[in-house]
Amino acid sequence: MASTTVRARVAVEPARRARINWRKQGLAYLFLLPAMIIFALVTWYPILNTVLYSFQRVNVAGSQGWVGFTNYERMFGNPVFWIAWKNTMIYVLLSLVMGAMVPIVLALMINEMRGLSSFFQTIVYLPTLNPIAVGLIVWRQIYAPEGGILNSLLKIFNLPTQLWLQDPLLAKPALIVIMTWIGAGGATLLYLYALREIPPEIFEAAELDGFSVWERIIYIALPLLRPRIQIMLVLQIITVAQVFTEPFILTNGGPASSTTSPVLEIYNAAFTRTDFGLASAWGVSMLVALSLFSILYVIFTREDLGKGQES
Amino acid sequence: MNNRGIMSNAEWRSPAGRLIGLLYLLVLAFVSVVVIFPFIFSFTAGLHNSIDVVKPGIRLWPAEPLWNNYVDAWQRFKISRLFFNTAIAAGGGMIAQLVVSSLAAYSLSRLEPVGKKAIRALILVTMAVPGIVYLVPRYVVMADLGLVNNFAGLWIPYAASSFMVLVLNNAFDQIPRDLYEAAQIDGASEPRMFVSITIPLSYSVMLVLGLFAFITFWGDFLWPFLILRDSELQTISVRLYTLTRGFPLNLYMAASFMAMIPPSIAAFFLQQHAPRGGLTF
Repeated sequence: MASTTVRARVAVEPARRARINWRKQGLAYLFLLPAMIIFALVTWYPILNTVLYSFQRVNVAGSQGWVGFTNYERMFGNPVFWIAWKNTMIYVLLSLVMGAMVPIVLALMINEMRGLSSFFQTIVYLPTLNPIAVGLIVWRQIYAPEGGILNSLLKIFNLPTQLWLQDPLLAKPALIVIMTWIGAGGATLLYLYALREIPPEIFEAAELDGFSVWERIIYIALPLLRPRIQIMLVLQIITVAQVFTEPFILTNGGPASSTTSPVLEIYNAAFTRTDFGLASAWGVSMLVALSLFSILYVIFTREDLGKGQES
Repeated sequence: MNNRGIMSNAEWRSPAGRLIGLLYLLVLAFVSVVVIFPFIFSFTAGLHNSIDVVKPGIRLWPAEPLWNNYVDAWQRFKISRLFFNTAIAAGGGMIAQLVVSSLAAYSLSRLEPVGKKAIRALILVTMAVPGIVYLVPRYVVMADLGLVNNFAGLWIPYAASSFMVLVLNNAFDQIPRDLYEAAQIDGASEPRMFVSITIPLSYSVMLVLGLFAFITFWGDFLWPFLILRDSELQTISVRLYTLTRGFPLNLYMAASFMAMIPPSIAAFFLQQHAPRGGLTF
């Protein structure tokens, strides 16, 4: 039917000899058009511009001309740059130490809960679903030096009270506790789904072979969860490195820059000093620092999605 | 139906199994208390009077709960207005994302556009670049288009989700080809097949992805904070943040608690529709 309207063409690879149906192509691109326009507008063009802006002086009025590496010199010359990235590394390490295991353990336990599992599943996911900004306002009260719940608890046990968010040593772990509270639920659900995908026969067979519960977790469940664990760890690194809302709302980067993060500095450069060029240089530093993890994330996710397709 | 965990049901009922189960239950109960504590805290703090709420000491339940605080907070924070704004921002974003992504995914999955691989790669690349990297130039684009203080300034960026395109692309690939061929013989056009085959058969995936998008946008902070400067348009997280000072803490906590109710309801919906199988976020 269509062959009469087809303008046959030999594709670039002669082996394939694909015929291009131009009417169908028009339709295909019509379906793609909204996505292409929007992706170009809010991702591809801005990504390109980040790099271009970082070599220009840009303010609200637009570009004021090319300035070479000036923005980068200013960025590297500012001690806050090194502090912010050191903070990021500490955030990432703390979050891996304090938070990475939590969802795995929770998922293993919830999975075993039979009737109660969907109840606990909903509970742990609640903080993830709620607006971060609202949750943080409540956490500020929990951490409040005077009248905060945490310090009141310490007082009951006659322990010294702490300035949770005002002490440079405690502020970072205090923020990581909140990030774990917010983020653990999503990861728990993901692991839970992965656990439910494992055919029960595997555990049955292992049980008959005399594997204890612990051995079944170590030798069967965890290795089978590995692809998801990989994705979640990389995702956690990427997410934590982009921390903004927690220090912005709770500490504004203080005390003495001890909780500041690159994103907070991007925000300050761009929106309090309207120095878009410098902010873009920061953005490029972020891109470079996270590129390895981002590429790993895409590879792992594709592997995982691809696997789902075969089954 | 998966009727066993790592432990079998018989094992679960044995003494050792019961001991493990009890241990698990205790840990989970403790975790649950920690997890929902901030919710309970904001709820009861909202019932205190404005002096008791800042006093040190643990008073979870006030001597005289002031239920009227909730009415007061509802009116003074204009919560209904904030809910409305947030619903417009999040709902519009969700619809835009579903429409744009499903159209693109259909094209990539069925219509074989020339350069499909390149397009897919370009979409994948945006997944690898953290959004924050190009936040500033994106803001400049939106400002140039005059979309500051306009909900479209949220909807347009919300519509671009490489993740949703890829997940839907995979979901559409799994729809049997025969269905389309049968429809084609009956003379159905591609748009017709998209509407009456692809969408109904991917309904549950789209529902879950849509709910996720809605919840994410509902809680989004930085982007609405930048785009919606006008207090009449602000979403609930932005407004509560900008109002931090100047309201008594008890009313503030009451407002925060009310802000957490709609996403929690969405959580129960999600709970019912979430797939048992894998879904990578």
